Amino acid sequence: MVSVINTVDTSHEDMIHDAQMDYYGTRLATCSSDRTVKIFDVRNGGQILVADLRGHEGPVWQVAWAHPMFGNILASCSYDRKVIIWKEENGAWDKMYEYTGHESSVNSVCWGPYEFGLILACGSSDGAISLLTLTGDQQWDVKKISNAHTIGCNAVSWAPAVVPGSLIDQPSGQKPNYVKRFVSGGCDNLVKLWKEEDGQWKEDQKLEAHSDWVRDVGWAPSIGLPTSTIASCSQDGRVFIWTCDDPAGNTWTAKLLHKFNDVVWHVSWSITGNILAVSGGDNKVTLWKESMDGQWACISDVSKGQGAVSAITDSQQNEQ
Amino acid sequence: MAARWSSENVVVEFRDAQATAMSVDCLGSHAVLSGRRFLYMVNLEAPSEAPRKIGRHSKWDVGTVQWNPHRSEAHVFAASSNQRVDLYFWRDGCGEAHTSLQGHTRVISDLDWSWFDPELLVTSSVDTYIYIWDTRDTRKPTVALSAVAGAAQVKWNRRNQHLLASSHDGDVRIWDKRKPNTAVEYVAAHLSKIHGLDWHPDNEFIFATSSQDNSVRFWDYRQPRKYLNILSCQVPVWKARYTPFSNGLVTVMVPQLRRENSLLLWSTLDLNSPVHAFVGHDDVVLEFQWRPQKQGSKDSQLVTWSRDQTLRIWRVDPQLQKLCVSDMVEELLEGMTLTVESEKSLTSQEPEGQQGVGPAADILQDKDAGRLDSGSGLAQTLQQEFSLVNLQIRNVNVEMDAMNRSCVVSAHFGSHQVHLVVKFPVQYPNNAAPSFQFVSPTTIPSAMKIKIQKILTDTSLQKVKRNQNCLEPCVRQLVSCLESDMTQEDSPASGPFVLSNPVTPSLQAFSRVTSTYGSYQDANIPFPRTSGARFCGTGCLVYFTRPITMHRSVPPTEPTPRSLSALSAYHSGVLTPMKMRSESQSTLRLYSGSPTRSDKETVSISSFYYKERKSRRFKTKREGVDYSSRPIKLAGKVIIQQISCLLPVHKTLGESYILNMNDIQETCQKNAAAALTVGRRDLAKVWALASAATSQDLSPDSDPDTETPWARHPFGRHLLEMLLDHYSQMSDVQTLAMLCSVFQAQAPSPDGYSLYGHHSSRLHSRYPSYTSSSVNSGSCSSTSDSITVSTWNTVRDPEHPNPWGESSPDDYRYGNHGYTDPREREQELHDMNKRLLDPANTLQFDDFKKCYGEILYRWGLRDKRANVLKFTSSPPEPHKGIEFGVYCCHCRSQARGTQCAVCKRLTFQCAICHVAVRGLSNFCLSCGHGGHTSHMMDWFRRQDECPAGCGCHCLLQSTF
Repeated sequence: MVSVINTVDTSHEDMIHDAQMDYYGTRLATCSSDRTVKIFDVRNGGQILVADLRGHEGPVWQVAWAHPMFGNILASCSYDRKVIIWKEENGAWDKMYEYTGHESSVNSVCWGPYEFGLILACGSSDGAISLLTLTGDQQWDVKKISNAHTIGCNAVSWAPAVVPGSLIDQPSGQKPNYVKRFVSGGCDNLVKLWKEEDGQWKEDQKLEAHSDWVRDVGWAPSIGLPTSTIASCSQDGRVFIWTCDDPAGNTWTAKLLHKFNDVVWHVSWSITGNILAVSGGDNKVTLWKESMDGQWACISDVSKGQGAVSAITDSQQNEQ
Repeated sequence: MAARWSSENVVVEFRDAQATAMSVDCLGSHAVLSGRRFLYMVNLEAPSEAPRKIGRHSKWDVGTVQWNPHRSEAHVFAASSNQRVDLYFWRDGCGEAHTSLQGHTRVISDLDWSWFDPELLVTSSVDTYIYIWDTRDTRKPTVALSAVAGAAQVKWNRRNQHLLASSHDGDVRIWDKRKPNTAVEYVAAHLSKIHGLDWHPDNEFIFATSSQDNSVRFWDYRQPRKYLNILSCQVPVWKARYTPFSNGLVTVMVPQLRRENSLLLWSTLDLNSPVHAFVGHDDVVLEFQWRPQKQGSKDSQLVTWSRDQTLRIWRVDPQLQKLCVSDMVEELLEGMTLTVESEKSLTSQEPEGQQGVGPAADILQDKDAGRLDSGSGLAQTLQQEFSLVNLQIRNVNVEMDAMNRSCVVSAHFGSHQVHLVVKFPVQYPNNAAPSFQFVSPTTIPSAMKIKIQKILTDTSLQKVKRNQNCLEPCVRQLVSCLESDMTQEDSPASGPFVLSNPVTPSLQAFSRVTSTYGSYQDANIPFPRTSGARFCGTGCLVYFTRPITMHRSVPPTEPTPRSLSALSAYHSGVLTPMKMRSESQSTLRLYSGSPTRSDKETVSISSFYYKERKSRRFKTKREGVDYSSRPIKLAGKVIIQQISCLLPVHKTLGESYILNMNDIQETCQKNAAAALTVGRRDLAKVWALASAATSQDLSPDSDPDTETPWARHPFGRHLLEMLLDHYSQMSDVQTLAMLCSVFQAQAPSPDGYSLYGHHSSRLHSRYPSYTSSSVNSGSCSSTSDSITVSTWNTVRDPEHPNPWGESSPDDYRYGNHGYTDPREREQELHDMNKRLLDPANTLQFDDFKKCYGEILYRWGLRDKRANVLKFTSSPPEPHKGIEFGVYCCHCRSQARGTQCAVCKRLTFQCAICHVAVRGLSNFCLSCGHGGHTSHMMDWFRRQDECPAGCGCHCLLQSTF
């Protein structure tokens, strides 16, 4: 059954802009216009405030947990043009790194797959995307893609670490030749795919379908199938699902998931990549699932107890 | 005067047109009138003919219509209708809508075809964007200029293909389409709204603006702080456009009570009175355009459309055109214009920013001496200079007296006053500089006086050496001196000159403080999310929404704004017209006014929403509670929801599934039972099938001749592939991985030969690093990995080349094997055919297992993960970094890894239990002793000397 397992009262003093749980689902990080990031221990239905991270000088837009093999690391980005990487050492959270290389609000942060080490992509309203990599000597190496999106970049999302092309052709005994790829969305109404070649980031693909700012992009997790899937949502109310079966990754086809009446702000994939959560300006959350015949259907108001998300949104509202 | 030419016009009435816009094509043959229901095509050769119509279906009026100005595209015109631009083709007497350009989110205010590229069209909208479209790709604009403020007018430069100008309320911005992020120049042109904007037809830098503030101003955008000239009118000016002939300007006023509906023709050289008035229209003139003339024709024709539903064509003959260039000959004038321009571009580089009127006046003097009828030649020059002097500087007044050859410049800057008398010698400007003298009540310090005097003298000498006028440059020098001095003296905010120059502060990079939050710089920053949902972990959905008590202060029909700059409207309390229209004042409660925040000046996203103080639902119940004293909650709750039932994978199954290599039948049966307990009957059947397929009865015979292996049967490999396909579509990676593992286990290779020759799977790490060693190997669970892999990485039978994959790594090793015996080859093929899992897809199956392994890891089921990963065929990532060589404890030969290459025994003996170490080991870098990690941990918890008794203080010696 779909059930609410926890309701966290964050006590933020202003509106919340993002909430995300860590890898294991034991901790919750939230960020808000009150310029703080809060971390809660939410194990067993509890809600213990673990940390109240202050350091941003503007509203904090997004948080991102790194893979736990690197320790407990959280990145946050803010209107104040800063990206702060926080780390827990001996139970205390502290700034690990502060990146100030953007000239406008940083709107999105996303950690790359753990196979690549600690690598963070940041998308900013100055149009650039920064890639911060922790090097062996504990320094942060910065690569910047200038003018990645005209006017501004709103979202970044990493591709899962898979070997490009078909899964054959791997010399034995060598490290699989992963290619770093991510997707970004921006104010030029474009979804762009980026690929690292010889240490340089290059624009790989440009996907056009939206007629207004792209607000979020999400690269679906892989379950080992050779298909790549990306969801994008926009100010124009449309959500597109982009798929690519082509091993070279060049042919992407768009399918309109739905046209909403208001802006769509966020898309999120389930771990198996078959359910998409969509949320936007209408204050609603809907869940979409691909049926066996490849059609996308809204499942959050279907019976069998799965209507929970909308239903719960209502009950939550009743509580307040 | 007016009557003389006005009688010449053509008047045609289109009673039902109700047209709001009009345009004349570049061939001069047609005018289009755009009404709500039809577009009327008027043949200008025979305007009284019944116009042809193009139907249109829209509830919106046409905002602007414009023909493409290029002859090659003369059949195309664009008409804006609310948020859309429609492109129409007019061919052979009939027209049709061709395509629409959609992209703006609010009404389009203006559009303009490029003068250089017939495919380019620019549109401006109150949605704050200016889009440049390429008609070859109409899906979306090619360039988007983010203007922050809504634009009223947008016009391409006629001389520079990259430049365009847009008007925003009282400001003009100059854009370079190659630099869409920001305007290249800002001109604070008027204090009231600009209605009309027009580029000079010949000069790249000059444009004219007409405004609500009753003036037309002429600008050189390189000098954005000061207009070149001003035409003051008694009423607001609707449009002012240059004429196709030199130095003319036509204006249309915004009609006031007295209903003045004439068009006025001006000479830009003399703005004191109009040259001509086109009298005739009974109502507001909505549009006027020049009709291109046939070659050789000296007349010009002005086509006008008015709300009185008449189209008029006015002839402007060369005589009238000449009035615009005063009494001078056209050729001379053209020559002069050129001189003025070239001089301008030169002088603009000079620091003093001389206007270049001087040299122009010189030419005037030379060529047109005697035009003024009083005074001697020299006095006349001075008078000429005075009359041409262009000094509309704030706080500066120049009183000129040509008769006495002097003038008084008075300026007020802050608390200072300056009065300066300039006397011009008779020879001036022929190498004779004027004298400058400060008179009372000048209040600046004497040091300053001396400094200014020197500057002025230098400036004037420089000019008069070249026989040039110097009054204007001198006054500008004076002003800049005073200004810079004032800036040093006062803080910039209090200096009056800052007020006179409102553009500069807004261009400064904004400070790190967020007081500017929601200001216009935020036009590029997306409007923040106030609700969101994210899948986390394996089966959780985390979401937050804004509290139900917070409502959007715009009605639900209005979409949420896209950019953060929309907040500024809520911050400053200025209501957008949209809100005025749709919401009554009383319901608008901006959050900034609420008690908890009233002390804070900062605007927040919550300003966009207003709080409903009394929830209707509880109104009756809770009446009497003082709501105003309760703090308002702005942050909603974050909900964590268990959605694992929606996923195709089950944690319970992950826990209860088993993978027993030795009894596959039992494995399948137990897994079937487990599937039943979670209600997955389909999986129970699948496991039953798996059990049947792995039955001993069906195990293939080693002799290829006895029978076809079961895998070749339709219920064999084919059935399994169908199952895998099905669960792939369901994204059920759990079932996929388990099936692959079971069938992999069912057909293990007999000999246990390790293809990849593992040696590095067991890491010798230093004592304390056993926790962090995982980082090196790339996974948190390397401990379990390393054990499993070394044992089980044998599933791929290396003796058999795979005939299906050309590039398989095995080919490198076995590709050159000559098959001496055909039976050997047959045997190999048979071995392939025996398998239920198609060996061609092995790597694909491995990926299923790895992905499932990740999910198991998130569930905390590490043993299960290790169990599944045993069945992967590909090697783990080789160890990178420091590796320790070991001398085998049995034969003393050097070995890598845990097994000695020579004696095949385990190389490393534990110093405590004296048993060879198979799993994790740690040792001291100093003495080389060590052993099982657990033993070492125990030992060093109590001791700090080496357990081998060598006396080494391992904890101190080693760097751990």
